[in-house]
Amino acid sequence: MKKFLFALGLTTAMALPAYAQAREVTFTTQLSDYGGDGAYLALYLTDDDGKYHGTLWIAGEKSKYYKHLRDWARGSGLSQAEYDGLTGASVTSGRTLKVTLELEDALIDSGYQVRVDTSVEDMRDNRADVVAPLTTEGSGKTVSGRGYVHSFVYTLK
Amino acid sequence: MNIKPIVISLSLLLVGGSAFADDDCDDPVAGWQPRENLRKQLEAEGWTVFRIKVDDGCYEVKGRDPNGDRVEAEYSPATFELMEIEREDDDDDDDDHRGKSRNDSEPTNAERVPRKGIVKGRPSVTVE
Repeated sequence: MKKFLFALGLTTAMALPAYAQAREVTFTTQLSDYGGDGAYLALYLTDDDGKYHGTLWIAGEKSKYYKHLRDWARGSGLSQAEYDGLTGASVTSGRTLKVTLELEDALIDSGYQVRVDTSVEDMRDNRADVVAPLTTEGSGKTVSGRGYVHSFVYTLK
Repeated sequence: MNIKPIVISLSLLLVGGSAFADDDCDDPVAGWQPRENLRKQLEAEGWTVFRIKVDDGCYEVKGRDPNGDRVEAEYSPATFELMEIEREDDDDDDDDHRGKSRNDSEPTNAERVPRKGIVKGRPSVTVE
């Protein structure tokens, strides 16, 4: 049985890159009414140990503040190559950010987590405001945030 | 079930606050000098100081350095040691006419710079 699973795992791992297909995912992040300036958010993927894997979206236009998205900043090394073309406006208190993008199929159900770091000027920084495993099962399930995020949900298409 | 990675990541999360705060200042408040002293010191060096505020335990100074460049600098509040300094020429509040850094995040430029990442193409984003 173990051998079978191992073989299955191995063949899947080998086969996946060959069949790398993109999957459309929508990430919806609703902020609470924290009542401060616009929030900076980093949506990114980590492995199940929290080790940075890649950037999904950065809300907030001034890169000099990106260091306050702390876990993401440490993981990405604040390297522009990690977030180029993946940035936009910050998100005001109480509003909802919807990001729809194409992700490799191989990232889903593979032990990756979606994380959201948040920061607001003159207020505290939240590393891992949201942590949600990226799985087929988790699609459509709402998760609460610990900081400025009221609720977070992603849907796989 | 191997819970070691979970325990490690949870404990990292807990100690993270201080352990990884690399460019924060952690001088005890009792040792802080008044921010007016910093203002005087900088003005004596030829600075124009617009504002000093406390950020991450540092004094954060906005102003013009002796070269006339707009800068944002962070100083240790006890020793006035310079922790970090940034030129503000990418600040689109006051020099929009350059508009360079702002354009870097425009969709049209997404394909221009090769990005190493997990996202294919340009995401569509709305704020409601």
